[in-house]
Amino acid sequence: MELFAQVLVNGILQGGLYAVMALGLALVWGVLNIVNLAHGAFIMLGGYGSWYLYTYAHIDPFLGLPLTAAVMFALGYALQRGLLNLVIRAPMFNTLLITFGLEVVLTYLAQLVFTADFRTINPPYAGSNLALGPVVLPLARLAAFAVAIALAVGMWLLLLHTRLGRAIRATAQNLVAARLYGVEPRHLYALTFGLGIALAGSAGTLYGTVSQINPYIGAALTAKSFAISIIGGLENPLGVIAGGLFLGIVESLTTLYVGQTFADVASFGTLVLVLVARPGGLLGRAA
Amino acid sequence: MSALLEVRHATKIFSGLVALHDVSFTLAPGEILGLIGPNGAGKTTLISFISGTLAPSGGEVLFEGASIDRLPAFRRARLGIGRTFQIMQPFPGLSVLDNVAVGALFGSGGGHSRLAQAREEARACLEFVGLGPFIGKRADELGGTGRKRLELAKALAMQPRVLLCDEVMAGLNHVEIEEVIDILRKVRDRGIGVLVIEHVIKAIKSLSDRLLVLHHGEKIADGTPEAVLSNPVVVEAYLGRKRA
Amino acid sequence: MKAWRVALALAALCALAGVPWYGSDVLTQFGINALLLAVLAQGWNIIGGYTGYASFGNSVFYGLGSYGVAIAMVQWHLPFAVGLAFGVVLALVFAFVLGVPVLRLKGHYFAIATLGLSQVMTAIVSNVELAGQNIGLVLPPLNDDAQFYELSLGLLLIATLTVGWLSRSRFGFGLIAIRENEEGAAVMGVNTTLYKVLAFALSGFFSALAGGIHAYWITFLDPESAFDIGLNVKMIIMAVFGGPGTVLGPIVGAFSLSAIAEVLSSEVTSIAGLFFGLVIVTAVVLMPRGLADMLRHLRRTGWRYFLENLRMHRL
Repeated sequence: MELFAQVLVNGILQGGLYAVMALGLALVWGVLNIVNLAHGAFIMLGGYGSWYLYTYAHIDPFLGLPLTAAVMFALGYALQRGLLNLVIRAPMFNTLLITFGLEVVLTYLAQLVFTADFRTINPPYAGSNLALGPVVLPLARLAAFAVAIALAVGMWLLLLHTRLGRAIRATAQNLVAARLYGVEPRHLYALTFGLGIALAGSAGTLYGTVSQINPYIGAALTAKSFAISIIGGLENPLGVIAGGLFLGIVESLTTLYVGQTFADVASFGTLVLVLVARPGGLLGRAA
Repeated sequence: MSALLEVRHATKIFSGLVALHDVSFTLAPGEILGLIGPNGAGKTTLISFISGTLAPSGGEVLFEGASIDRLPAFRRARLGIGRTFQIMQPFPGLSVLDNVAVGALFGSGGGHSRLAQAREEARACLEFVGLGPFIGKRADELGGTGRKRLELAKALAMQPRVLLCDEVMAGLNHVEIEEVIDILRKVRDRGIGVLVIEHVIKAIKSLSDRLLVLHHGEKIADGTPEAVLSNPVVVEAYLGRKRA
Repeated sequence: MKAWRVALALAALCALAGVPWYGSDVLTQFGINALLLAVLAQGWNIIGGYTGYASFGNSVFYGLGSYGVAIAMVQWHLPFAVGLAFGVVLALVFAFVLGVPVLRLKGHYFAIATLGLSQVMTAIVSNVELAGQNIGLVLPPLNDDAQFYELSLGLLLIATLTVGWLSRSRFGFGLIAIRENEEGAAVMGVNTTLYKVLAFALSGFFSALAGGIHAYWITFLDPESAFDIGLNVKMIIMAVFGGPGTVLGPIVGAFSLSAIAEVLSSEVTSIAGLFFGLVIVTAVVLMPRGLADMLRHLRRTGWRYFLENLRMHRL
C-alpha cells in the first residue's frame, strides 16, 4: 500500500512536469495550427539556459525562471515573425517540414556549443526530501510540480480571461475577422509562438532540475508532449494538466505493476485509444 | 406518378434546439420545388438530411419508393441525388475541369470508369452552365459567381435524378439570376426533380412549379407559388407586414 | 507521353541499373539505401501526398515487412520470397484492421494516432519471443549487393508506375478529391472510407517490401531500428521536399536529400547535420511546393519563382 502511494505520488509529480512540457506545444498547435516538431529542442535550450545561469552566474533555476522565459519568448517571437510567418499559408506539411529542419539545426548547434556531455542543475536543496506520512517528496520535484501547475493555471487565466487571450483565440478562429477588429495577425502570431516557446523553455528549466540534459533529448520530449496534448485536448490549458497527470500516473503504475518496457506501450496505447474514442481529449468533446 | 423523392415526418433536434419538426413533402420528376423560409428555418438542414450528410432525429427519406435512411452520403450520390452547397465546396487544387470530372467519375450508378470520358462529360456540363471559357483555370481562381456555377456543374456531371440546390442565386445580379433560372428550367425539362432553396422571392416565384415554406422548422405552406405567396400565414411569417 | 520523355526515362533507368557494374561498392551501397528510401517516400506519397493523410505509421509497415522476412527465414527456414510475402500479409492485415478506426481521424490527429501506433508496435514486438524480443534476429547472409540493388530498383520502378497509374485513374482522382475536400468528395459519390483504407494498404504494401529487402541486406534487425520513427520522418521529408502528390517528386526528393546528406557527411562532418537542417528550412521557405514543382517552373519564370512563393505564402 505504501509502495502504491509512493508510486502514485511520483506519477503525479512527474505528471505536473509533463503538463508544463506540453503546454507550449498545445498552445501553438491549438491556436496557430502549427505542429512544432522542434518543441523538444526548445525545452532543451531552456534547460541549458538555466544551467548556464546557475553554473556561471549562480542564479537559482527557479528564481531565474522569469529571465529564461523572457529570453525564450524573444527567441520565439523572432522566429515566428522572421521565419515561420513566411510559410503559414504554404501547402500542407510545410510547417511540419520547417520545424523539423529547425529541430535538426537546434540540436546540432547545441551539440557544437554545449558538447554532448550530460548536465544537471543541482541547487543545494536538490537532495532534500519532504516527508508526507509514508510518502517521500523530493524537494526539487515538488518545486517543479508547483511551478508547472502555476504556469498552466496562469495560461488558462490568460487565454480565457484577458483581452490578449481573447484576441489570440479570435485570431486563431478567424484570421479575416481578427483583422477587422484591428488585430495585427503577424504580431499576434509571433506573440503566441513566443509564449509557446517561453513555456517550453520554462519546462526545460524544471526538467533540468530533476533530470539530465543533453542536446538529444528534444525528439523524445516532442513525442511525449504530443501524446499529452492529444490526451488532454487542445482546447483548454487545464486539459493539458489533466493529460500530463494522467500520463504520469499511467506510466508510473505501469512500471510498477507490469514492467518498465511496457511504460511506452501504456502511454502511447492510451494516446491511440483516446484518439479513437474521444478525439477531443479527456476534457474535450466526445467523438 | 409515384414520387421520385419523398420525405416523411423529418425531424432534427440539435441538443435541445428543434431545427426541423415533422416536415413531409414529395418531389416528382420534371418538377421544380422551391423551398423558402427565413434564415434558420431549417432549409439547409432538410437538404443535408436528403443528401445524407446529416442524420435525422426522426422521420424517413424515400427515393423512388425505397427508404434510403441507412445509406451513407456517397451511396445516395450514386443513386442519383446531387446537391450544391451554400458554403461552396470546390476542390481547390484541381482545375475547373477536373472538379467537375470528379462528379462524372463517381456520380449516378458509379459514374464513368475512364478519365477521358469523364472529362468529356465535364466539358459538356461546364458549357451548359456557361463556364466554357474557364475550363482550364484552377478552381480557386474563380470568383463568387463562377464558383456558384461550378457547384452546379459538379452536381450536374453526376447525372442526378434529383438535384438539391442550396442558394445558387445568392449574390447574383438580375442578368445572372435569369441565366440560372434558364439553366434550372432546362435541367427540369430533362426530367430531373429539382429542389431549390432561395431567398430571392421574385426569382423563385417565376421558377418554381410548386413552393414549400418552412418557418421555425415546420412546414407552413405547400402549393402553387400564387397560392402560397398570398397565404396570410406565409405573408406574416416570412414577408412581414408587406403584401407580396 | 511524349517520345523523348520515354526515351529519357529509359536511358536513366539503364544508367541506374548499370551502377553495380560500373560504380564502386560504396556507390552501390549508397544506391541501395537511396532506392529503398525512394520506395518508402513513394509509398508514403500514396497516403500522404495523394490522399492527404500524413501517416506516421508507414514505419510500422516497414517493420512488419522486415520482421516478416526475418521470422520466415530464421525461425521457419523459408525462402526469401516467402518471407517477403509474409511481411506483406502482416502489413495488409494491419492496414485493414487498424486502418478503419484510425482513418476516421482528420489531419494532425491521424498523424499522431499513427505515431502512437508505431511506438506501441515497437514495445509489443520487443516482448514477442518469435521475433527475438529485444535482441532481435540475425538473418543468413547473402553477399551480393548487385542483386539487392537491382531488386530495390525494380521495386522503385513498380512503385512509381503504380503512382503513375494512380495519377490518371478513377481511384487516384477519388483520393485527390478526398484530399482536397473530403465531405465534398463523399457527396459526389466517392466511397471515402474504402478508398482511404485501400490507399493506406497500398502504401503499406510498398513499405513492407522495402523493409523486407532491407532486412535481408543488412542481415540484422531489432525492434528499435525496424520500427524507427526517424525513418518515417525521413520518408515524409523526402516526399514533401521533392513534391507530394506528384509522380516523380518523392524520387527526386529521396535522391537529392540522400546525396546532400552523403556529401555533407564526408566533407563537413562536424557540422553536416547543421547544414542539412538549414537546407530544409531554406527549401521550405523558397519552394514550398517541392523540388519537382520548382524544376518544372524554374525554366519558365527564373528567379521570380522564389519571390512569388514568398509573396503567396507569407502571413
